[in-house]
Amino acid sequence: MIPLSWFLFLSAALFSIGLFGVLARKNAIAILLGIELMLNAVNINLVSFWRYNDPSRIDGQVFTVIVFAVAAAEVAVGLALIISVYRHRNTVVADEIDLMKW
Amino acid sequence: MTTETLLWLIPLPPVLAFFLIVIFTNKNRALSHTIGVGAAALSWLGSMIVFARALGVHELGKTPFQSTFNWFPTGAAWFKVGVLIDPLGAAVLFFVAITIFMIFLYSVGYHNYGQPAGDHDRKGLPPHGATVTDEHGHAHVVPSIEPMYSRFFAFLGLFAFGMYVLVLSDNLLTLFVGWEIMGLCSYLLIGFWYGKPSARDAAVKAFMTTRVGDVFMLLGIAYLYSATGTLSFREIFNNAGFMQALATTATPILGLSAAGLIGLLLFIGTIGKSAQWPLHIWLPDAMEGPTPVSAMIHAATMVSAGVYMVIRMFPLLSLDPRTMTVVAFIGTFTAIFAATIAVAQNDIKRVLAYSTISQLGFMIAALGIGAYVAAAFHLITHAFFKALLFLGSGSVIHGMEHGVLHVQGEHAGSPQHAGSPQHAGSPQPPQQHIDPQDMFNMGGLRKKMPITFWTFLIGGFALSGFPLVTTGFWSKDEILADAWGHGHLAVFITLAVAAFMTAFYTMRQITLTFLGEPRTKEAEHAQETPWTMTVPLMVLAFFAVTYGWVGIPEHFPGLGGLVPNWFHDFVGHTLAHVPEAPAFSWVPLLTSLGVALGGLFFGWLYYRNVKSAKEDVFQIPVLKNKWYFDEAYNFLFIKPAYWFSETFVYKWMDQWLIDGILHSFGKATQGLGAAIRKYIDVIVVNGFGDLVGYGTKDVGQGLRPMQTGRVQQYMLAALLTVIVVGAILTFFLAA
Amino acid sequence: MDFLNTHLLSLILFIPSLAALVILFLPSEEHKFIRWTAFLASLIPFGLSVYLWIQFNPDLAGYQFEVKYAWYDAIASSLHLGVDGLSLTMVLLTTFLTPLALLASFNISDRVKAYMMLFLFLETGMLGVFLAIDLLAFFIFWEIGLVPMYFLINQWGSANRNYASLKFMIYTMGGSLGLLLGIQLFGVLFQTFDLAEIVAKWNMISPNATFGETTITFATIKTVAFWAFVVAFAIKVPIWPFHTWLPDAHTEAPTAGSMILAGILLKLGAYGFLRLVLPLYPEQAQYFSGALAFLAVAAIVFGALASYGQTDFKRLVAYSSVNHMGFVLLGVAAAARAVGTLDATIALNGAVLQMFNHGLSAAGMFFLVGVIYERTHTRDLSKYGGLFTLIPVYGGILIFTSMSSLGLPGLNGFISEFLVVRGSWPILTVYTAIAMLGLFFTGAYILKAIKNVLHGPLNEHWAQGEHKLTEINTREILVMVPLMALILVIGVYPAWILDVINKAMVMLF
Repeated sequence: MIPLSWFLFLSAALFSIGLFGVLARKNAIAILLGIELMLNAVNINLVSFWRYNDPSRIDGQVFTVIVFAVAAAEVAVGLALIISVYRHRNTVVADEIDLMKW
Repeated sequence: MTTETLLWLIPLPPVLAFFLIVIFTNKNRALSHTIGVGAAALSWLGSMIVFARALGVHELGKTPFQSTFNWFPTGAAWFKVGVLIDPLGAAVLFFVAITIFMIFLYSVGYHNYGQPAGDHDRKGLPPHGATVTDEHGHAHVVPSIEPMYSRFFAFLGLFAFGMYVLVLSDNLLTLFVGWEIMGLCSYLLIGFWYGKPSARDAAVKAFMTTRVGDVFMLLGIAYLYSATGTLSFREIFNNAGFMQALATTATPILGLSAAGLIGLLLFIGTIGKSAQWPLHIWLPDAMEGPTPVSAMIHAATMVSAGVYMVIRMFPLLSLDPRTMTVVAFIGTFTAIFAATIAVAQNDIKRVLAYSTISQLGFMIAALGIGAYVAAAFHLITHAFFKALLFLGSGSVIHGMEHGVLHVQGEHAGSPQHAGSPQHAGSPQPPQQHIDPQDMFNMGGLRKKMPITFWTFLIGGFALSGFPLVTTGFWSKDEILADAWGHGHLAVFITLAVAAFMTAFYTMRQITLTFLGEPRTKEAEHAQETPWTMTVPLMVLAFFAVTYGWVGIPEHFPGLGGLVPNWFHDFVGHTLAHVPEAPAFSWVPLLTSLGVALGGLFFGWLYYRNVKSAKEDVFQIPVLKNKWYFDEAYNFLFIKPAYWFSETFVYKWMDQWLIDGILHSFGKATQGLGAAIRKYIDVIVVNGFGDLVGYGTKDVGQGLRPMQTGRVQQYMLAALLTVIVVGAILTFFLAA
Repeated sequence: MDFLNTHLLSLILFIPSLAALVILFLPSEEHKFIRWTAFLASLIPFGLSVYLWIQFNPDLAGYQFEVKYAWYDAIASSLHLGVDGLSLTMVLLTTFLTPLALLASFNISDRVKAYMMLFLFLETGMLGVFLAIDLLAFFIFWEIGLVPMYFLINQWGSANRNYASLKFMIYTMGGSLGLLLGIQLFGVLFQTFDLAEIVAKWNMISPNATFGETTITFATIKTVAFWAFVVAFAIKVPIWPFHTWLPDAHTEAPTAGSMILAGILLKLGAYGFLRLVLPLYPEQAQYFSGALAFLAVAAIVFGALASYGQTDFKRLVAYSSVNHMGFVLLGVAAAARAVGTLDATIALNGAVLQMFNHGLSAAGMFFLVGVIYERTHTRDLSKYGGLFTLIPVYGGILIFTSMSSLGLPGLNGFISEFLVVRGSWPILTVYTAIAMLGLFFTGAYILKAIKNVLHGPLNEHWAQGEHKLTEINTREILVMVPLMALILVIGVYPAWILDVINKAMVMLF
């Protein structure tokens, strides 16, 4: 078996890439993609811990499946919001959606 | 009724008259003067009854009429006041009652009762005459009735009340009450014609000058009261223990004994009231009042009160020889001082005023040398002839005013004035072209006013001491005899000189006024005065002639011994030790004959040929101006007093100093408050409050740009926060 | 009847305030109704005071008609009222003068309701001071009296009223600070504010005992407290040099305000001396009696001199109050020095009677000034002249009242001044002699006033046209008649009041 830490490294790397994407990408959809990456990184983390600590329990799998569902729902809502914003403001660049400011 | 009850009642009619006239009968002249004269008559009647009874009592000095009651409480006891008639009191009461009665009667005529109201008369100014047209259409100006007629009788009533209270008192306190009431009345009456500035000022001068004496007298009374616990004459004088204590207790003032100091303090009251030098200045100015007032104040009552009080307190004063010396000195000096001034006066009343001062000096001097009976005798005789002289002078002035009005009437009716518009109905009173009181405007009045002339002559001779047939001779001779007999040479010589001058200026007065020919038209038209004025003159003249005969000394050549010296025996018994009459000596008798007759002769000799004031050699400025005492007092006392009160006390002390301190407290407090506000309140307290507000706002303003509205930046911030907090938690707060 | 007897003092004290409250609910425009209500209401305490006077037994020592209401139990202060000869005289004076002052105020037409209410509250304040035997109640009534007076001067006074009212209020209050501290000291030391107890206990403390944990001896404390009390009362009396508020306050106050201010408020200070200072601090009073006498004589002399130097009629009369109250203090100082002797008793008799007499004559004089001011609208003496011709009745009344102020024998002023002189001469000889200078100038300023107002050539300005002077009217005569009657009665027959005073003084000191 390859050590757990490799999976964790992978997960962390994916998470960071996703975080970087969230923080640094201009396009709102790209931010959503980043969020997806972070969520999947979390999934990998969860699955790794499940597989390496106690495969007989189903807690980890359940948790992962819930994350799947939430991610899906959240993407749906997020895309809907982005489309709504686009229709009003004609842009999907995150920096330009800054009405809630001082 | 008992004599004591009568004594209590005697002062009441005049004061009741005062109240009735002031409150009720002010507008009704006839009723007012009836009440006034009636009250004086009632009191006179009561006094005569008392006097008659007093004569009948054997040893009145030991068993006088007296009655007391509790007046006010002091501690556990009560202060008693009451009435007393001992021989001195009886003798004084006699002349007081008569002179007051005569003056009341005289005032009816003097104020022109029955005459019409004046053309331009106004209350507060002397009447100036009324124009009447007789049946031929001629306009005459006649004397007009005094506008404030009733008020005069009211004030006279109050005055009479004061004098009766004073004479009847058995103690110094009620004597002082009467004394001051008379002071008030003299103020009111001297200033009777208050619209005249000179009268108004003279009234204030009289009151204030006597007040100087009065405050000292008050101290004397307080001292006597505290030393003996009583103010009743008999209780003090008959108590050997008191007298001894008073004579021997020393005081820190000038080495006087208590008796001496008290006597001196009381005597200063007399100096003021009886116008002795140096407080004599008020009496000549007091001539501003109507003549009955002058008679009342300066002959019959008020100035006599001063002498009376000293005579009363004689047992006390005589305990200390130093005080007696002061008394004798003041009296003697005043006698000659005033006589020198009288020689240079031209106003008929002023001569009499200074003459009064001088004669009072005689009495005071007599007391100072211990001549108790002589002083009392001269007091009473002087009252009679001086009242006579004053009333006589009033009669003269009245007659002269008649002439003045007559002459004015002629002027007004004469062609150059009649019909001229500015004279018709002008509001100013007619001008007095001459002074009706100036003796140099008179002359020859013996023909026009015979009764006045003869009575005035009798009075003048009495004043000069014309031998044998006038009272003045007997009383003045007795003073001189006492001075000579007891070896007071300086007093004797000075009084003799003063007596010579008295006779001289009196004859001057008579000559200028009555003898010779009239010097002015006004004098030619003078008229005799009505019976209400001449009857009192005659009554007083009677006493001026006869009263002296009750006091003929026993060893007098010829007449002595024919009638007993009633006066000496009677009044002398007031004292516990009856004073001895001095041994007879020819020196004082011849001296007084000489000065009296000599003075009269020379006065007549010189003045029968003097036609006007310019020819009179005695019109020396320093005498005419009364030795410049008024000016001196003005400079020394009055102006400094004004300055002291207006400037020093009010402006400097009160306003500048005390208020200045207060205001500086106020300003300091204000300044402190302002500083606290400026430096502490505004900056610190307020500042702190403001800081909280503004600070919050500024911080908020400062933090505002953080709200960019950009989601990514928010997330980045959140990430950084997590990292920082996590670092802190892990590395710094791990333990 | 029994209720009346037991609660007599409370009735006298509070009826004026009740009347004021009644007036509060009357319509403001009904001036005549309000005036008459106030006047008639003020006659009730007067009637009760007369009844009190008759029922009072002068031979008994201590207080009579005592009532005690619980008030601040926590600090042992109650509303304890009572009269003895001294306070009875003052109560009579207060209830006598207030109706006269109200009658004199009938010519006020501006905010009549507020004026009348303030006056009645003022009466309660003054009566409270005289009736209170509890120190805290005394102080409270003392201060209460200031507020209505301030407003009376400030709202209905003359041109300079702001300055005058402020000066009066702040100065008097400032002086009372020491009084308050002293009273608090007593409260703390003895756990009570009742005067009788405090006097007894305070005089038992040895002067060498120390206060609490400090090293300050009671001798020092007593001296400091003595001066604190003296300053408070000295400002009120007023004593030179604390007197400068008086000319301003008296001159600017409305006529009735001046009557009450001079007639009664000044007596509060003198009463304080007699009731508090002398019983509480006998040794200090004796030790400092020379200083007190000096101040008294300064008041007499300087008051008279300042009065003589005035050109404002009302200010002249105001300074005369300083002059007359100086005699009161002279009597008090003499009594302080020689406690228990006959001379001291006589001096005190004179002092208390002078308080009563001055109340009458000062009220009269101020009222007469007000009468002429109302007609001429000036107080400048040089603007008058010869008015006796136009208004002889007024002139006669003015001369009569002035003579009382001057101390003419036969009228009330002489009796009290004579008693003070007689009493203080053996004790404070030199001071009494110097005081005579003041007495001399008293005559000077009185005559100056009469000379300028009544005598001299008639000032034609007042004789015709719109300025023509009207004679004193019936209402004004009615104000003066009771005063003049009492002045004459006391001058001729003082025994009725002196007996009460004398017995009280003998028993108190």
